[in-house]
Amino acid sequence: MPQLDAAAVALARDGDSDAFRALVERHSRAVYRLAYRMTGSPTDAEDVVQETFLRAYRQLARFESRANFGTWVHRIAVNCSIDLIRSRPHRESAHDGADLEQFGAAMESTDATGTSPERLMLSTEVQERIGDAMSGLSRMERAAFMLRHLEGRSIDEISQSLGLKTNATKHSIFRAVRKMRAALEPFVADA
Amino acid sequence: MTTHLTDDDLVLHFYGEMDHATESEAVSHLAGCDECRRSYTRLQRVLAAVDAMPAPALPDAFERVVWARLESALPPRRGWLGGWLGELMVGPANLAWAAAVMLLVAGAFFAGRLTNPPTGVHTPTMASAVDIRERILLSDIGEHLDRSQAMLIELVTAEQPDGRDEVDISLDRARAEELVAANRLYRQTVSATGNSPVTQLLDELERLLVELAASPDRLPAEDMERVQQRVAAKDLLFKVRVVSTALRAKQQQQQQTTGRAGA
Repeated sequence: MPQLDAAAVALARDGDSDAFRALVERHSRAVYRLAYRMTGSPTDAEDVVQETFLRAYRQLARFESRANFGTWVHRIAVNCSIDLIRSRPHRESAHDGADLEQFGAAMESTDATGTSPERLMLSTEVQERIGDAMSGLSRMERAAFMLRHLEGRSIDEISQSLGLKTNATKHSIFRAVRKMRAALEPFVADA
Repeated sequence: MTTHLTDDDLVLHFYGEMDHATESEAVSHLAGCDECRRSYTRLQRVLAAVDAMPAPALPDAFERVVWARLESALPPRRGWLGGWLGELMVGPANLAWAAAVMLLVAGAFFAGRLTNPPTGVHTPTMASAVDIRERILLSDIGEHLDRSQAMLIELVTAEQPDGRDEVDISLDRARAEELVAANRLYRQTVSATGNSPVTQLLDELERLLVELAASPDRLPAEDMERVQQRVAAKDLLFKVRVVSTALRAKQQQQQQTTGRAGA
């Protein structure tokens, strides 16, 4: 696949639209999934996909042929997601302790006893729970958490990317984890 | 570290975000504290579950939709003739394009070199054979474009039946299936004469035909709308009309020339 990508990039640089189309078709789903996880919105994710490939197209000349196109476009997508998140106003104050308690109470309504974590991990219900919990995160909580958890970025890097102070980034991640725990701990309690 | 680790401490420990000294204390505390270890295990399980976060369901045509949306937004690239399409969406440019096509088709560029690039002196018999082949090809492409035009008109004017969320495109799909092979052949033949707007038009048309041919007989209304928007955004119908008209004009011109020569 990387060889195919390298060949497609070389052709696309020379103006072959079909080659660029092949790259878009090969990577757009992965970019969408990443963008959706980062932004939590299908519409925003679509915008990120569009912007990612536009940037990739403009920067094709800078792409090093030995690099992996998938990794490169993934990095662009993360940056596009961050830019989109930063461009929107955020209200962290709306997610204080009371908000968290409310969130936890809402999530506690499901009885998850009597099932092993392994089975539950694969269940639709857990997946729905994760989805619900994720949509309960604020934009910044979600972005900071995803960058830390899925992208493996350090808190300092995340602070720089999102334009937050280190403490604010930490607290966004802490709040996000608390919400995830409130939603999922009943399912992953000691077997 | 004698006091228990807080939830936030456990998060920092999980992600390796503690400084060296605090990390060492946390590790030794966890080794000796069942309560914190249990809490940490639960955290690990929760965060492992997050990795199983569901991916959003995407339609089969997702990639095609992304490309359709993206293509028109791509800036023209040097050497990329596909870029001209994007510049043709405004009125004056469309007119300029139409004029260029008329000139190209009416002149020697298209017809004169279509089947036989000038390589030397032709005898009258050879020239006549070339003329005949060119006329046949012009006629064939003209007919192909007329059929494509009819299909495009039906496609862009198709309406969603009341109360249904699908549109029956089985006839258009079948027609696209018939047209796609011929279109490919004509595109390859025309492209052998050099990159011209006609090649680009056939290329654009082919993409649409391929997509339609691969579509189900009943298309969701949303997808149908996207196809219609794409045809409109690319001015495909307009371009097909222009090239078709230009080809007809060229054919008539050739017939008149032949008639005078034979008189």
